[in-house]
Amino acid sequence: MSIQTIQLCKTYNANSDFPVHAVDHLDLTIQQGEFVAVMGPSGSGKTTLLNMLGGIDTPTSGDAIVDGYNVSKMTEKGKIAFRRDNIGFIFQDYSLLPVLTALENVEFVMQLQGHSEAECRARALALLKKVGLDKHQNKRPAMLSGGQQQRVAVARALAPRPKFVMADEPTANLDANSTAELLDIMQQLNEQEGTTFIFSTHDQRVITRAQRIIVFEDGRLTKDRQNPDYKRHTMSAS
Amino acid sequence: MLVRLAWRNLWRQKRRTLLTASSIALALFLSLLMRSFQEGQYTSNIENNGKSGVGIIQLQDPDFRDSESIDELLPSTEAFIHKARKIDNIDAILPRIHGFSLASVGSKSKGVLVNGIAPNKETDYTHLADKLISGQYLHVEDTDILLAEGVAQYFNVSVGDEFVLYGQGYRGQTAAGVFTVKGILSFPMRELNNSQVYLSLNQAQILFRTNQQVTSWVVSLHSLDAMAQTVEELQNAYPDVSVRDWMDLSPELEQSIVLDRVSGLIMMYLLYGIVGFGLFATLLMMTLERQREFAVMLATGLVRMKLLLMVFIESWFIGLFGVVIGASLAVPIIVYFYQNPIRLSGDLALQMLEMGYEPIMPVSISPELVVSQIWIVAVMLLICLLYPMWRIVTLDIVSGLKGGAHAH
Ligand SMILES: Nc1ncnc2c1ncn2[C@@H]1O[C@H](COP(=O)(O)OP(=O)(O)OP(=O)(O)O)[C@@H](O)[C@H]1O
Ligand SMILES: [Mg+2]
Repeated sequence: MSIQTIQLCKTYNANSDFPVHAVDHLDLTIQQGEFVAVMGPSGSGKTTLLNMLGGIDTPTSGDAIVDGYNVSKMTEKGKIAFRRDNIGFIFQDYSLLPVLTALENVEFVMQLQGHSEAECRARALALLKKVGLDKHQNKRPAMLSGGQQQRVAVARALAPRPKFVMADEPTANLDANSTAELLDIMQQLNEQEGTTFIFSTHDQRVITRAQRIIVFEDGRLTKDRQNPDYKRHTMSAS
Repeated sequence: MLVRLAWRNLWRQKRRTLLTASSIALALFLSLLMRSFQEGQYTSNIENNGKSGVGIIQLQDPDFRDSESIDELLPSTEAFIHKARKIDNIDAILPRIHGFSLASVGSKSKGVLVNGIAPNKETDYTHLADKLISGQYLHVEDTDILLAEGVAQYFNVSVGDEFVLYGQGYRGQTAAGVFTVKGILSFPMRELNNSQVYLSLNQAQILFRTNQQVTSWVVSLHSLDAMAQTVEELQNAYPDVSVRDWMDLSPELEQSIVLDRVSGLIMMYLLYGIVGFGLFATLLMMTLERQREFAVMLATGLVRMKLLLMVFIESWFIGLFGVVIGASLAVPIIVYFYQNPIRLSGDLALQMLEMGYEPIMPVSISPELVVSQIWIVAVMLLICLLYPMWRIVTLDIVSGLKGGAHAH
């Protein structure tokens, strides 16, 4: 249940005079259960990589093998099933459905996947509790702070029990406190549920919390190291 | 869940949703009113035309249509007609003899149209007796004659005078007789006023030597809407008889109705066309402004089909509001005017009264009209949905995630 990319490329405007190699012949392996930060300057290809690994963008060449599935060779239909069964997404701007309550946002996709109502409810409540929002379950996103919204988004991403979560700059809109809280929660879920987290960021504070740090420049991997400061979460009762 | 989501999405843009639904409601309201008045008018025209003598359906000998000859006849016996009496939708059945004859008084002569009628039944349906301006109406065994005003003036005769008819009867026999004028009738339509004379059926059969036969049986109905079925039943009961409906009997009337209806329908479709543009704009906005939201939904595991379904449900809600609001405004008004028709006044009313028509603006209450409006709205919705749906089908998740307003 790992991620492996082999000579993975995404090239925009390939046939023009100025092709853009958003991801350039990338070889990368990420193991199940890792807590990985992808950093790099703007335009370095972080979003593009996450989208390809998550099966919403198609590589130009090379392979991305996620949990045994080769994303590069999947049909549209296959990708839908792949995403449904394997991937959760978290976005910079939370992207909750504004007309649904926190609880409904978390339940929504599970329900549409045909899980029983009781099952969805139980799972959603459990997740909201884990992200510390069980008291706010009936509030709509507009009544929650940014940090709270992003925590709901984390719960939503985890609801269908994905093996991997792709989080594209999840803390970019959050202040220091909320960022720390969110990372606590993500790390806790990473440890408790065994979910692999891959998140992109510019933020130095976020990077220090990652287990592994991958640095990108112009679509190429320039650094890949374990974080010596990484501390496993002590299963606190928060 | 999808339905709940669709429902809540509608109220994100309350004003737009309500405006769009109202425009559908308005179009439906106006169209339904217009069509109900139109169809009511047509029904009344057809019935009035029937009462002017033609009836709604006539039974004739198949050859009579072309020849209009006194030789092509049907039996006038109860044995013949009793099958028709069993058909529920038939209101009245009147025997008729229509024949041509030369009339002469003194040195003057003129062609007249001779009508042999069952006097009581006839006036029950056509109110012929009300057109009497002097003398008396016929009774069943009467041997006297009624003249239209124009005929009486032409010959300068009045009640009590003698009137001679001379023509050809059944199978070439001579049809001649002398009759006493019993009454004078006034018809608002000149052709009728200058040509018609009336005998009792009995007397007409004697004059034309037809024995127990008539040229036609004139049928009136309880329900015009069920006419097609009645025609079929009659045709089954009388396979060898020509069953002619009012469209066959009065093609001019049918044409004028068709023309009027078409112009009404054009108006209606124009109205819906304008409303359709507004609806299209709304549905398109609803889709385009949520590109990013849709992309997020797709990325987080929603199947495209479900997304389409959600937008579909949203737009059907709008259509449903429109239909419900429009119909619930229009129907009570139609029912009211059905029970209390608008009474006309002025010259038009006088003219109608003269024709023997009630001077009202009738409306028709027809579920079919309502259903057809709903159909139009439904088809309009489907057409307006095509492009937005296509946008969703082709929505690229990656570019959707990047761009697009994120509507909160
Ligand atoms: N649709 C596209 N067409 C052309 N070029 C594109 C397209 N999408 C992305 N790119 C280019 O690909 C490169 C990588 O973009 P990407 O969005 O992955 O960068 P990023 O690292 O996520 O940047 P940021 O930190 O600003 O989010 C950029 O140079 C960008 O201009
Ligand atoms: Mg990015």
